[in-house]
Amino acid sequence: GRRGSVGGIIEKDPRSAIPECFSHIPMAKRIATSQAHKDVHPAVLALGQQMATFTIRDSIARLKYMLLAFRKVIEAYETPKGNSLSRHFIPHVLNDQIEYLTACRPMCFSMGNAIRLLKAKINKFDIDTPEDEAKEAMLESIDNFINERITLAEFIIARNAADMIADGDVILTYRQHRLVERALLQARHDGKQFEVSIVDDPFDQTGQMLAKTLRRERIRVYYSPHMGGTQASIRRATKVFVGAEAIFANGAMQGPAGTCDVCLTAADAGVPVMALCETINFDRDRVATDSLTYNEIDPERCGETEFRLLFDTTREKYLNVVITEFESETGNSPAQSI
Amino acid sequence: MAPLLAGYAPNLEKFLKTLKGQSLEASTEGLIALLKRRQIRGAEACAFATARVLLQVVAKSKWTDVDQLLANVQKVGARLTHAAPRELVIGNIVRRVLGLIRDEASEERNADNEGSLMDSVSDLQTLQPSAATATSSGSQRPGPNPIKPTLTPAASFVSKSLFNLLSVVDPAESFTTGSPVTGSSTPIQQNSSATALKSEVIDGIEEIMDELSQADDQIAGFADVQIHPGDHILAYQPTATVEKFLVRAASKRHFTALIASGTPSPKGPEAYASLKKKLAAAGVRTVHVMSGSYAAYLPKVSKVILPAHAVLANGAIIADGGAACVARAAREYSKPVIVLSGVYKLCPENSSEVEDPIELGDSSAYVPFTDGPLVDGVDVESAVSELVPADLVDMYITNLGPHTRDHLDDILADHYKVEDIDFPLQ
Repeated sequence: GRRGSVGGIIEKDPRSAIPECFSHIPMAKRIATSQAHKDVHPAVLALGQQMATFTIRDSIARLKYMLLAFRKVIEAYETPKGNSLSRHFIPHVLNDQIEYLTACRPMCFSMGNAIRLLKAKINKFDIDTPEDEAKEAMLESIDNFINERITLAEFIIARNAADMIADGDVILTYRQHRLVERALLQARHDGKQFEVSIVDDPFDQTGQMLAKTLRRERIRVYYSPHMGGTQASIRRATKVFVGAEAIFANGAMQGPAGTCDVCLTAADAGVPVMALCETINFDRDRVATDSLTYNEIDPERCGETEFRLLFDTTREKYLNVVITEFESETGNSPAQSI
Repeated sequence: MAPLLAGYAPNLEKFLKTLKGQSLEASTEGLIALLKRRQIRGAEACAFATARVLLQVVAKSKWTDVDQLLANVQKVGARLTHAAPRELVIGNIVRRVLGLIRDEASEERNADNEGSLMDSVSDLQTLQPSAATATSSGSQRPGPNPIKPTLTPAASFVSKSLFNLLSVVDPAESFTTGSPVTGSSTPIQQNSSATALKSEVIDGIEEIMDELSQADDQIAGFADVQIHPGDHILAYQPTATVEKFLVRAASKRHFTALIASGTPSPKGPEAYASLKKKLAAAGVRTVHVMSGSYAAYLPKVSKVILPAHAVLANGAIIADGGAACVARAAREYSKPVIVLSGVYKLCPENSSEVEDPIELGDSSAYVPFTDGPLVDGVDVESAVSELVPADLVDMYITNLGPHTRDHLDDILADHYKVEDIDFPLQ
């Protein structure tokens, strides 16, 4: 109570400073643990803080840790007398957790997809299913989900993408993306000889970590610290690999802000763009044609004196290939077909 | 090396102070050193410094006839151009001065030969149309038919450039004596006429310098036509030129300015503080977009404003690194890209003739030198300037007004003589 009220006096609403033309876009927000709903599980409470502070930021990492936290919630759950798990768990337990996590940081599409799948699973339980049996089934489905949709997916995508790299290629990528990094390392492990050109976001230089990792594997690396080098780097590149945050129903891709700029430049230079994305990040219900439909404001830069969006949307026509874990004939599927 | 003020980094201002009482060679060497060390950089500063040194060439170097003077200017000009090959404006100013000398010389000759009134009138008109525009309010040049600045100069320029083209292609028409361009067959009567020529050329160079200093204000004069109430204007790394443009528009229109800095400035949010303050005072909202990416913002933006380092003959521009990305994003969302540039930045070169317009700069702001693995094994390339292809630009606003790409040729023809286009390759 006390800490919360003190915080409330010091912190004015950070949203008040957001310029009007971007005021519809959500933003992560730090919520004092004392202000959270009383039923939020400690594991979820901690996770919410980590999401709000961007300690856990990657969409798949957020999904995975959310599922692991839900495991804890399920393990600790006891159905109150006179209730059934299948009728009680979602409205009275799970929804509070989800609400809190969403308040900490707007949910990414994969989290929404996973929650939908989990809820469908729970709703299928017969009203008379014994609690132990239902809990066991829920835990198992979460484990399977993590194994199949996250761990295995990453492995297969890296494998598929690595197969598309040929000797002598110069691969251009934007910032550091887990899938792209794994694909490059896999290709190197396969004995491919290629060079990598990294364009970075000067306000969030994750590309430097990728540069170092690749250097350790003795891959030649060009590093451009900002967009100024995109045009020149693209001319040198033979392929562009980008990691997607999400893919919308119309095939448009949401990626870290700047991905679209890279893809536009690549299209002008005639360099093919490969987007790497797990199918759990595909959203079948939402359609976006520009970057201001679904986006997030950087909570560190959310005023008029400093403003930054975290994502942008690249239209489907700029993506030549979307590499997912599902194998079709070629192992890859054009964006529209999904 | 020229004795520059010791102890602190010299800049244009300090350079101009050292010019007084210095020999021509010392001033030239001084400027070359400053250009090479990038202590004078940026189109405005380079143009001004070049004009200043060429003024000294005219005033102090030894010459007895026009050809010698042209050769002197070309020699010094070529040295300056080589000192900073990426600063294309230096060549432009040299060409302007060369053209000025040719014009004044032919005018002298016409006067000597009692040339017809028509000829002198046409010479006056072809001479420095922009300079005449620039100083039209307080014109030192009493012409029989003073040129008035006009908001839609297209028609008049086309006709003039046509005249120019004819006069250059057919020297017999402009030189009534039928003398070749070299002019050696009609030696100027020494002394009196050389002195007259000198003072005319010096006046002309001063007019060019006036034009340089007034260009920003004149460009700003076209702001309220292009910026409408309710617009969201994205200004990419605004320079002084863009600042004046926006502030002038703000005095008449209510719009929102998005200032985009593609690279983190060492000053952080304090960067562009004076611009933000002036805009706020005029009631215009500013949003400082701190992002390396632009496509995300373009759906909200109504116009993009790019400052140019140089505008090439085919319409491509050389601008800050990242400008091409902004322009591409604008095209994706069909938003107009407006380039602001003084006429003096318009170069007769085509983009294919400019070798490697990408300038790589200091990368220590992004990669610390203490970071061994990065410094050691990674090629860090921080592009300071890059080429924005012509098809990404919709409009050019110079001190003469707004132009389309096709119109740039006419302006070039108005400002440079065909003989000088190839400078400094001569």
